[in-house]
Amino acid sequence: MNDTIKNKVVTLAFLLVLVGLFLLNLISPPQAISFSERRKLQQFPAFSFAKLVNRKWFKEFERYSLDQFFGREQLRQLKAVTVFHLFRQKDNNGIYFLNGHLFKMEYPLREQSVIKAAQKFNNIAQTYLQGMNVFYAIIPDKNYFAAAPNGYPALDYRRLVELMQQNIEKMQYIDLFSCLSLSDYYRTDLHWRQECLQPVVAQLAHSIGLPPTVAEVEYTTVVKYPFYGAYFGQAALPLAPEELIYLTNAAIEDAVVYYYDNKEYGKVYAAEKFGQIDSYDLFLSGAVALLTIENPQAHTDRELIIFRDSYGSSLAPLLLAGYRKITLVDLRYLAANKLGEFIEFKNQDVLFLYNTLILNHSEMLS
Amino acid sequence: MVFASIVFLYYYLPLVLIAYFFAPHRAKNTVLLLASLFFYFYGEPVYLILMLIAAYSAYRHGLYIDKFRGRKYARLLLVSSLVVSIGLLVFFKYADFLLANINVLFNTNFARLNLVQPIGISFYTFQILSYTIEVYRDQVKVQKSFAKFLLYVSFFPQLIAGPIVRYTTVAADLESRTHSWVGFAGGVRRFIIGLAKKVLLANVLGELCSSFKMSDEKSVLFFWLYALAFTLQIYFDFSGYSDMAIGMGKFFGFRFPENFNYPYIAKSITEFWRRWHISLSTWFRDFLYIPLGGNRVSTPRWLFNVLVVWLATGLWHGAAWNFVVWGLAFACLLVLEKYFLRSFLSKLPPFLVHFYVIFCVMLSFFIFNAESINDALSSLQAMLGLAGLPLCSTETLYYLQSYAVVISAAVVGSTPLPKLAAEKLKSIKHGRLLINLAEPVVLTALLLIVTAYLVDGSFNPFLYFRF
Repeated sequence: MNDTIKNKVVTLAFLLVLVGLFLLNLISPPQAISFSERRKLQQFPAFSFAKLVNRKWFKEFERYSLDQFFGREQLRQLKAVTVFHLFRQKDNNGIYFLNGHLFKMEYPLREQSVIKAAQKFNNIAQTYLQGMNVFYAIIPDKNYFAAAPNGYPALDYRRLVELMQQNIEKMQYIDLFSCLSLSDYYRTDLHWRQECLQPVVAQLAHSIGLPPTVAEVEYTTVVKYPFYGAYFGQAALPLAPEELIYLTNAAIEDAVVYYYDNKEYGKVYAAEKFGQIDSYDLFLSGAVALLTIENPQAHTDRELIIFRDSYGSSLAPLLLAGYRKITLVDLRYLAANKLGEFIEFKNQDVLFLYNTLILNHSEMLS
Repeated sequence: MVFASIVFLYYYLPLVLIAYFFAPHRAKNTVLLLASLFFYFYGEPVYLILMLIAAYSAYRHGLYIDKFRGRKYARLLLVSSLVVSIGLLVFFKYADFLLANINVLFNTNFARLNLVQPIGISFYTFQILSYTIEVYRDQVKVQKSFAKFLLYVSFFPQLIAGPIVRYTTVAADLESRTHSWVGFAGGVRRFIIGLAKKVLLANVLGELCSSFKMSDEKSVLFFWLYALAFTLQIYFDFSGYSDMAIGMGKFFGFRFPENFNYPYIAKSITEFWRRWHISLSTWFRDFLYIPLGGNRVSTPRWLFNVLVVWLATGLWHGAAWNFVVWGLAFACLLVLEKYFLRSFLSKLPPFLVHFYVIFCVMLSFFIFNAESINDALSSLQAMLGLAGLPLCSTETLYYLQSYAVVISAAVVGSTPLPKLAAEKLKSIKHGRLLINLAEPVVLTALLLIVTAYLVDGSFNPFLYFRF
């Protein structure tokens, strides 16, 4: 190839990419949702003269051009591969890949945030939970098992637990760190696997004073595939999806869930949620401010209130054997000062169950 | 609108290229002018009027200076033109800085104006100034067409980030220019390399700098890593933009001046400034330093001239004291080199001379990027291990490992080594063929990777955007 031909090839290739993608962007129908990123995509902005002059229209158009770019998912994958394999960077947008697992970096420890979380729990306990059996447990995020040993910056987990213990009043701490390992979590998601939670259930049952049989209940497993975890889309790496397994039995099947948000009854496992924007919403329909699970097959009148995040959704069904009713409260969506309007506090067991990511960002708790 | 954005690359540029190359010859300047005005309107809808006023003032002044050439009015008109152009620049860029300092000096309480600085005002003002001065000096023929003059002032490739193009450089191209495969392909090469420098190196190094700033676990090594990363970031950011501007100029048949010539291989600070932001330093040389008398004056007067030029250079970069200190620091270094260091440096091994230059430049950029003088001083203290920080930390090691390849690529890319390697390859048998085969593939791959980075990320600042 001589210089003249090369110049023509360079010019034509450049114009082909530029004009070709321009035309493809024009004719491609806009997508409503990005499943991999779990968010709505910007649509073509409505035009107005005011929005033009104050640049709002241009800003919206910029978001639209990014969100609706032709071959967006493939390009994000190209970027991830370039970051990890060409530039040998250790993370892409804070996501790193190690031992078959995807992780999202979380550091440094925000001590004030942890202290505020503890204070928030204390306030709730003081206002509503006087004289009740109150426990708290901390769920380690995945980084606990892999970050520090592999040279990734990580939270000081020992300090986090220490801060909670120093600042929480009149509650019993239940250690879950020793019950879990990395294999108990999904490879492409932040959550733990329900089928691996038997040691956690046993530890909770023992600490709360439930019969040991609660941790020995038999379940049948249901496998759902393909499961793409939250980090799968963020990482944009060419990885295989995994199986989501949930445990069920007659008691769980008979259990009745009441969702206060929309005042509707439902089942423990919302199978229709699988394959939607977040498949983990299969467990108790995902992010819900307040719900109760009634167990008609219960041989006890004990009740449990769990202040929880999304990890609690997959754990609660496994505690059903020990309770007639479990109430789940998500303080991210329900303000603490409104609790009395919805919950009658009497002699229930109470468990504050939060993962380390929430404690490190306790501003999310209202 | 920044060049390294999806809107620019895949909406604006294709449309402009299509409109330009399908337009008849006599309409090409109109296409570029309309495109440039829209480009500015996109970034600063309101301040488009300001740019039009500044350009029209210079245009009319140019006509009158030409009309009254040789008469005393010409000088008055030049002064009038300078007052308008510099006045607008001072008002919109330096008003709050001046007011704040007046308040401190005279214990007054003038309220700040809080004006948003118009994009590219420093660049287009300097272009306008060079035009009127050169018309007054009769170094260039006055432009009779306002449309062509406005195109010179507002031409989008160099509007927001330079290089500062003198009117003499493009006067002929504004009237008539040719387009060729070789010219366009040269532009593509330059544009994509600039784009890659900006997106794949500068932006990525910028992420490292942001991580440093947000870190609660700083160490002495982390400060040095940050200093190195920022030094490389600012070079690739700015030179990347200049490459893109020069490349786009070539698309449309314009020849812009070079703005960078591997500044980090300089063997003195004096040489560094012959290689860094060349269009600005030559502007100050021709329109400030030489009119003040240059170096053909007494030593005290020369020192004064140097001080004025570097004070102006510092202030050109920003309305804050750290920019003043930054400029004056370079003035001191240049004076020291002239009187003391030159002979000393010439006796040192090359690597030590190189270390001296890089060290001074790195420190200068610390001052440049500081939020205040105190911030700069405390950073310098930390770099020298005087802030009680640990030498290293887990976080530092992590970022060092994570960015090792990018930093290495940036260090090599800031030298002529890649260019020399390509030239060496061309000289061997089949080397030219290999390069000719590889070039389109590499350029296309780079364009796609850059696109992937832009689609994926929102981290895309431009350091020189407000200059």
